[in-house]
Amino acid sequence: MTEMLLALVPTYGLFIVALSTALSCMALPIPSSLIMLTAGAFVASGDLNGLATFATALSGAILGDQAGYSLGRRGGDYLSRMSQSTGKSARLLARAQGFAAHWGGLGVFLSRWLFSPIGPYMNLVTGAAHMNRATFTLWGVLGEVVWVTIYVGLGYTFGDQIEAVASIAGNFSGVLAAGAVTLGLGLWLRSAIRSEAAKRHA
Amino acid sequence: MKRLIHIWKHHPLLSTGFALALCLTLYFGIRTVTATMYWADPAHRDQALQSWMTPGYIGHSWKVPREVMDAAIGTLPENKRPTLEVIADQQGISVADLIARIETAIFAYRDAQ
Repeated sequence: MTEMLLALVPTYGLFIVALSTALSCMALPIPSSLIMLTAGAFVASGDLNGLATFATALSGAILGDQAGYSLGRRGGDYLSRMSQSTGKSARLLARAQGFAAHWGGLGVFLSRWLFSPIGPYMNLVTGAAHMNRATFTLWGVLGEVVWVTIYVGLGYTFGDQIEAVASIAGNFSGVLAAGAVTLGLGLWLRSAIRSEAAKRHA
Repeated sequence: MKRLIHIWKHHPLLSTGFALALCLTLYFGIRTVTATMYWADPAHRDQALQSWMTPGYIGHSWKVPREVMDAAIGTLPENKRPTLEVIADQQGISVADLIARIETAIFAYRDAQ
């Protein structure tokens, strides 16, 4: 399976790099980190041009983010039209808006690279919440530059150890993303318990 | 324990989600540690030649000059980045045979050094 994936990069070149970063930013389960690591390794071996690889991966990621944001925005509009009849989705949307207003740019930036597995969902949520598109784009591009630099750079540096780097980096980014979700849910749970306790004492 | 059950009864979705996310974090944590330990072992570091690799990649990975690779492989297909699979196909041999030929050349080069 991994071998087949790794063969995609030398066979199809940069096309596959752009495609994988774009699709993974739209929440499709594409192992784009592995593809970028591999591309970085092929830059080191002289099979791919470094600048072109970086630019292609970055363009794919930015396009994918924009598509995800637009999709979220349309979905959000649809939800708010529907929500006149049901209060639940309106509450969900209000929560998303609160989240985007509170975390905004920083959330978009960090979810591009540090917590990259939740990035695609951030695109949908910030789109649905009508976060300012210019702010989203600015922080999104900055974050993708970091993401692409890290993975293509790791691939370039540790190209002769591609499988080792891929498995360690993949699991570690899982720790960061799942850890962030755990922390978020934990804080939410704590505030829910507190407000319940306050109600009981009142 | 009683308190945990109380919390779970009052916030079933939220506490289940929290527990799941916690398990997932631990799972990836353990996998990170085991992967790091596995790859820290030098015995696992020499990357076996595989069908997806290109001559350039093997040269880079095994630190062998391009000329040695070229001599071992022979004329390359027109393709810019031929994988071992493509090369073997074109030469009408199996990937295993091609890998054996390249390995012989690499070890001969290393012995000569």
